[in-house]
Amino acid sequence: MSAVTISGVDKAYGKARVIHGVSVEIAAGEFVILVGPSGCGKSTLLRMIAGLEDISAGEIALDGKVINDIAPKSRDIAMVFQNYALYPHMTVRENMAFALTLKKTDKGDIDAKIMRAATILGLQDLLERYPRQLSGGQRQRVAMGRAIVRDPKVFLFDEPLSNLDAKLRVQMRSEIKALHQRLGTTIVYVTHDQVEAMTMADKIVVMNCGVVEQVGAPLDLYDRPANLFVAQFIGSPSMNILQGSTTAEGFTASDGTVFPLPLFEKTETALAWGIRPEHLRLADSGVPAVVEVVEPTGAETLIVAKAGNNTLSALLRERIRVAPGQHVFLAPDLTQLHLFNIDGRRIPSTV
Amino acid sequence: MNSGRRHTKKAFPWRRSLWIASLLTPALVVMVLFVLWPLLSAFRLAFYEFNGLQPTGFIGFENFRKVLFEQPYSGWTYNALKHNIIAFVALMVFENGTAFLLAYALLKALPGHRIHQVIVFLPVVLSAVIVGFLWKLFLHPLFGLVNQTLALVGIGAIPWLGNENTALGSVLFANVWHWLGFPTLVLLAGMQRVGKEVIEAARLDGAGDYVLMTRIIWPLIAPSVTIVTILTFIGSFNWFEIPYVMAGLTGSPGGATDVLGLYFYRTAFGSTTTGIQDFGQGSALAVMMFIIVAGVTAIALRYLRRREIEL
Repeated sequence: MSAVTISGVDKAYGKARVIHGVSVEIAAGEFVILVGPSGCGKSTLLRMIAGLEDISAGEIALDGKVINDIAPKSRDIAMVFQNYALYPHMTVRENMAFALTLKKTDKGDIDAKIMRAATILGLQDLLERYPRQLSGGQRQRVAMGRAIVRDPKVFLFDEPLSNLDAKLRVQMRSEIKALHQRLGTTIVYVTHDQVEAMTMADKIVVMNCGVVEQVGAPLDLYDRPANLFVAQFIGSPSMNILQGSTTAEGFTASDGTVFPLPLFEKTETALAWGIRPEHLRLADSGVPAVVEVVEPTGAETLIVAKAGNNTLSALLRERIRVAPGQHVFLAPDLTQLHLFNIDGRRIPSTV
Repeated sequence: MNSGRRHTKKAFPWRRSLWIASLLTPALVVMVLFVLWPLLSAFRLAFYEFNGLQPTGFIGFENFRKVLFEQPYSGWTYNALKHNIIAFVALMVFENGTAFLLAYALLKALPGHRIHQVIVFLPVVLSAVIVGFLWKLFLHPLFGLVNQTLALVGIGAIPWLGNENTALGSVLFANVWHWLGFPTLVLLAGMQRVGKEVIEAARLDGAGDYVLMTRIIWPLIAPSVTIVTILTFIGSFNWFEIPYVMAGLTGSPGGATDVLGLYFYRTAFGSTTTGIQDFGQGSALAVMMFIIVAGVTAIALRYLRRREIEL
């Protein structure tokens, strides 16, 4: 269990810079998730921690010791790949034993470690099988087992669940989280799925275009997104954003609709107004809107409605019967409003 | 659509067959004329006595007996066979071994690997006659590039192709130079199929280059190794052009570079010195070469296939 310090790291392929001065502190034992859209540099950053990519500038340190020039095999870091990367010619047992035999670990020790990992992951009956004889979920478990037996300083996960079906993904999500709670090893985990990030992480690093947009606990990012990008990336369905500006009456959207802003000091001009779908409800008064789409999921109902020229989605806990074309009033929870200035930065409210 | 096809089938059942036949015929004619016919004639003629021009009579296994058990023919046969075997072993070790290392170096995609890939493969596209002639010039005892270079470091002129101890090695060396790119490319393709992630996973598991080569890549490129081994075997037992160009039809000096291909050619079509043709004995040799190559290939394929693993 080790701390990872990433300071001012750049990555460039020739003239193309893909990561720009990224700095992140990862405490020992922390479960950190790097999340962002495709091509934001999150996997590259993970591969730099592993030593599979050179670091163009800056430093990565493990427990205070800079590892920029240390070969991957000497970093004591284990990685779980998206496509599992199991050795096809080795049984499950041999896959898990490989790293240990290279370290000349005692045979009895290897067996004990494999048994322990197999028990944790429910692989006891599969030890003599070859990867081609396993299902996707089982292969994923073997890949994790291979990492666990090494008892490394850090676990790296590179989108490990994206090849699994939806049901298995949810199950593996809680298994990985339980595994972290049990082993306590530092985990750096890459995903583009913000739900995965929200449900599993101690700390989320939101990346976009090679820079870190925000670092924080899942609910911090949700409640206080630093900027428009984070606000829209975190949360599903994503936050309603309206363009406009602050006026004497409150926030005037570009089509003239006025939204009240009681909890903000009007010192800075806001250009975007945001509210999460779950903070809108149907009321007898509020913003008039016409229902366009109704998506019931059972537990919740998502309504997409048009208010003037603005499209708003509202996520309602109640099972309400509304039909497309119906006129409704949407009432925002005024304590949950978000305002963003010209740079896209969030303007803090007075609460 | 379906009914339309059925209609066509019913109305012109012969049209489709004719079309297929017309596509197959040219290839079949060539195959029968230039592959099947010579093969079958060789099998037939191996059992006949020759007077130099035409078969004179059926003599059973007499030709086989002569080339296998009667001196001087049997001596020549075993001498040539020995060199074919040496060629196979040497090419497996030096050509394919070097190819494996080269392929691994190319796999690592070091700077300049693309141009090196082209350079390594370039000699393969040359004709064997050109390569043989080129190396014969390079190895010329007095004016050759090799000896002139060696003279710079004080090593005296070595008659590479004239000395019994160095002739076969020199001819093999030219062959390695000529063909090295081919196994390199086949093995490289096999290594690229292993998958970048598997190699990266092994690196993180603590594997250095040696462990990676022996314990991950080697077992996983079994299909490529099978192909390379089989082709090397066939190539070594049908070896002809380079020894012919570099050492002549008699496998000079003193049969030191003689191989079955040369011996067969001399027997069947007449050597440059005696001019005597014995098509019967030649055919017997050809049949035996065919049986060795086909038989060993079939057995080796079955054995090597067992090593292969679905990726």
